Amino acid sequence: MFNFFNNSNIFIWIEKFINFLNSIFFVLLLVALSFALIFSPPDYLQGDSVRIMYVHVPAAWISLSSFSCIALLSIFNFIFKIKNLKIVIKSIAPIGLMFTCIAIVTGSIWGQPTWGTFWAWDARITSMVILALFYFLLISVNKLIIDEDRANKISSFIAAVGLINIPIIKYSVDWWNTLHQPASIKISGTSTIHSSMLVPLLLMFLVLILYCALIFLMKYKTEIIRIKKKNLKRL
Amino acid sequence: MINNLILMNGYGVYVWSSFLLTFIVCVIVYYKTRKTLKKYEKEFAKEIEELSVKQKKIVLESSKVASKVFSSYNKII
Repeated sequence: MFNFFNNSNIFIWIEKFINFLNSIFFVLLLVALSFALIFSPPDYLQGDSVRIMYVHVPAAWISLSSFSCIALLSIFNFIFKIKNLKIVIKSIAPIGLMFTCIAIVTGSIWGQPTWGTFWAWDARITSMVILALFYFLLISVNKLIIDEDRANKISSFIAAVGLINIPIIKYSVDWWNTLHQPASIKISGTSTIHSSMLVPLLLMFLVLILYCALIFLMKYKTEIIRIKKKNLKRL
Repeated sequence: MINNLILMNGYGVYVWSSFLLTFIVCVIVYYKTRKTLKKYEKEFAKEIEELSVKQKKIVLESSKVASKVFSSYNKII
């Protein structure tokens, strides 16, 4: 059972999964884009500008879930010192930073037609900028500190502190008066979004999640080869 | 129909710039990641190639990763 989780077996499964993702990705992307840009209706208040939601919201979801994942894995890694977790964390962090930046920029573009400004220091936007800084710190620590043990400790600390920011981002719209509207989609409770908008949103989320999986697997594969390359030099 | 899709009642510039920006960033990151992976695969395969026959045999038999990368690199060549 544990033999299945060694790098060699993971490597072979990664190759198969990358090929599978490559084969279905473009079909799904076309379907999701058609729904988001053509078939979904305009909002009664925001008009067609609501379509920005189909990239902005999934990007924000991915950035929050990536950081939560990184933080939990960092704490787990700090306690149990599992080498594979370190590779997973290193592979997820750049993806998280990228989607945080996409969420901030697309949000800013959406702000102009909706609020009349590209930028406002409201609680949700400010906490998202702080999240981007945490991502940046995590990536910098892993790149700049050569001593692996020290880098592990520092990045675990940063991730644990950054985890506090996640509920702040989530509930900032409820705790403070912000320009952002409260959440329309709730895991527990009834969502206030119509299915004609929910379907394209979930489709775009699925496409972006598959894209993340593809990038993550390629990065993970690169890290495995990097480790094997290091081992080869010891021969 | 196409005009409507492009202009989106005056919101086209915001909607299209958001989608295009996301698309461009995703494509750049995809190609950069792929390029790095290919570079490492190539370097790794070359390092295996430079080993002595005996060492190469040991490495390829003991590591599935090494044999997989080495065989796929040789296929490309």
